[in-house]
Amino acid sequence: MKRTLKWTTAAIVVVLAFGLLVPTVVWAKEIKIGVIYPLTGGAAAAGRELRAGAELAADIANNAMADLEMAMAKNAGIKSMGGAKITLIFKDHEGNPTLGADLAKKLILDDKVDGLLGCYHSSVTKTVSAVAEQYGVPMINGSSTSPGLTERGFKWFWRTTPHDRWFTKDLFELLKGLSEGKARGVAKVSKQDIMKLASACEKTEWGSFTSTLVEEFSKEYGFDLRKSLLYAKEAPDLSSEVRSLKASRADVMLFASYTSDAILMIKTLDAQKVQPKVLWGQDAGFETPEFQQTLGDSIVGILTRTVFLPKVVEVKPLAGKVNKMYKERTGNDLSGASARSFTGLQTWVHVLEKAGSTDPKAVQAAANAIEISGSELVVPWAGIKFSTSGKEIGQNELGSGLIGQYQKDASGNIGLEIVYPFDVTTADMIYPFPKW
Amino acid sequence: MDILLSSLVAGIMFGMALSLVALGLTIIFGVMDIVNFAHGEFLMIGMYTGLLTAQAAGVDPLLTLPAAALVGFVLGVLCYAGFVKYLLRGPMIAQLLGTFGLMLFLRNMALLIFGANDRAVHQGLLVGKSIDLGMGVIIPATKLAAAGLAAVSFGAVWLLMNRTKFGKALTATALNPQGARYMGIPTERMNALAWGIGCASVTIAGALIVNFWSVNPYIGLLFTMLAFAIVALGGFGSVPGAFFAGIVVGLITEIPGFWDFLTYTFDIDWMADVPMTSFKYMWVYLAYFLIMVVRPRGLFGWKH
Repeated sequence: MKRTLKWTTAAIVVVLAFGLLVPTVVWAKEIKIGVIYPLTGGAAAAGRELRAGAELAADIANNAMADLEMAMAKNAGIKSMGGAKITLIFKDHEGNPTLGADLAKKLILDDKVDGLLGCYHSSVTKTVSAVAEQYGVPMINGSSTSPGLTERGFKWFWRTTPHDRWFTKDLFELLKGLSEGKARGVAKVSKQDIMKLASACEKTEWGSFTSTLVEEFSKEYGFDLRKSLLYAKEAPDLSSEVRSLKASRADVMLFASYTSDAILMIKTLDAQKVQPKVLWGQDAGFETPEFQQTLGDSIVGILTRTVFLPKVVEVKPLAGKVNKMYKERTGNDLSGASARSFTGLQTWVHVLEKAGSTDPKAVQAAANAIEISGSELVVPWAGIKFSTSGKEIGQNELGSGLIGQYQKDASGNIGLEIVYPFDVTTADMIYPFPKW
Repeated sequence: MDILLSSLVAGIMFGMALSLVALGLTIIFGVMDIVNFAHGEFLMIGMYTGLLTAQAAGVDPLLTLPAAALVGFVLGVLCYAGFVKYLLRGPMIAQLLGTFGLMLFLRNMALLIFGANDRAVHQGLLVGKSIDLGMGVIIPATKLAAAGLAAVSFGAVWLLMNRTKFGKALTATALNPQGARYMGIPTERMNALAWGIGCASVTIAGALIVNFWSVNPYIGLLFTMLAFAIVALGGFGSVPGAFFAGIVVGLITEIPGFWDFLTYTFDIDWMADVPMTSFKYMWVYLAYFLIMVVRPRGLFGWKH
């Protein structure tokens, strides 16, 4: 009896030891990245794009694709970690910062993710990155543009996209260029004609910061900001906001809107026949396929800042190849959202490759030292290199923005043409904004 | 001047649609003293009915009013027969919490069925069209149609309540249920019909509003709050009160427009910096609060 007990105990110990050992070996082949995006709610359309972009990047990283001139396409999985594959665990934050933080905790504590990617809405990125910071889990952000996010001195947060301070400045440079006759295809415009500005921004972290930036730059560049209002992105009706914009008789109207509110804003401007000379959106909703599909011809002439346009393909063959793969999967071209989530995950792959482990400290050191060449990227940036000192910590210093304008081509298709920076334009700018 | 006129017209039009929303609430309250917290949820159902019927049948959203009315009526009667009837036997607090529970139930059912995404009407006979009234006043055709049809629906319900035997029976039930029963009025059936008509009028309003507002499962709360303010202002249980108070509340939501009129007519810089549009509903609730303090029975109220 005693002997049986002894043997049984020994057997249990052996089984347990194996049990602990075997999964460790298996787990080492998988790197879990928690990805938090708005998959439902007002920004669901953008969420789908973001998700597809990240999934495509993960697929390229996990499989060797010889015809793609990208470091991450050369090997199947992370080479420095024995070909470990990347698994993405998606969560839906619905545009809600509190929910986002809860999901981040779940991903860290329950799913034991090795790192995070997300979250699109700056307000959600703010709370999620605070959770990541608390637990010491690395987080890479590809598409939130509120400048404050990298001004908090966080040690576990890196942002690849340029932020709104650069983008908003781009707009004012464009207006200045218009008054100096630099815009392609537009005769010099008197500054008096574009003097009066009005802005309407959604009132979470991202929009309200954009609103402040517009105020700052209006003063700096000497424009008269007649009205700046904030609204709720969930607002089912924006008619009083639009009437207020109309009342200000502004020449230039600026918007920071997510998807459904951007559509509603343009529909309402159209219905009220508000006729500014320049109509500019701060990316996000103004760039989603839903925006184009829903509004059709009425968007011709609208400007939006962006980081990626299908036109980039003409100057970047690599972007063309990735765009083709993306289009096969989704039916849409890459957009600012999907191109940046792609780049976000691509950065994760490079960081992991450099770190050679999922140990947070190693990942942190690798992220701080990473240098990705612009030729690796689908977005038209000089590359990716994070700032490690100064006012901004973890901000990519090599990014840049574009301003696109919706125009109709000869065959009647509407698409974005690059109108700024002035040296890389792809078409003449339409000025003033056409009658509705 | 165009700013002032635009705001006035917009306020009146929105107010007409709002008064139809509040009508259902006031009927149900008037007949059986029940405060229906789920009122806005019926509006949300009306909005979805309008939107989905239009998409499924390929007709203009404005033509879906009968479908919305039918859905609202059936749902109202079912709610009464299956739920509210039992609540009436309980204390006041049970009725309050009961309709509150109904609100949560309907909202979460909508979330389950339709998802959290915003949906909006993008195509239709009048969608995207506007009418220039001159003097710089431009109004979207959908809003004008909604205001007109709301007024027509309102008038129809008013006639039903005031010019028919059925309406008199309803009023009798409202004033004295026991007396009405002695007179041979089937009060139980009257209650069910009051719920049916109340809910139908709000679902009609929903099908009208969805022409220019987007819908999601959370939209109901805003309208419940607005409807409460309108009913309080117009007087609990008063049908004409709901109409006039609806227009007053519509105009109150346009205070930012009147503010802009003053700002840009007299070129007052500091006024342009006040974020009035962010607070457009605040004035409605302030009015609600004031009327509760100063004249609790409202402008036209006859119930205590």
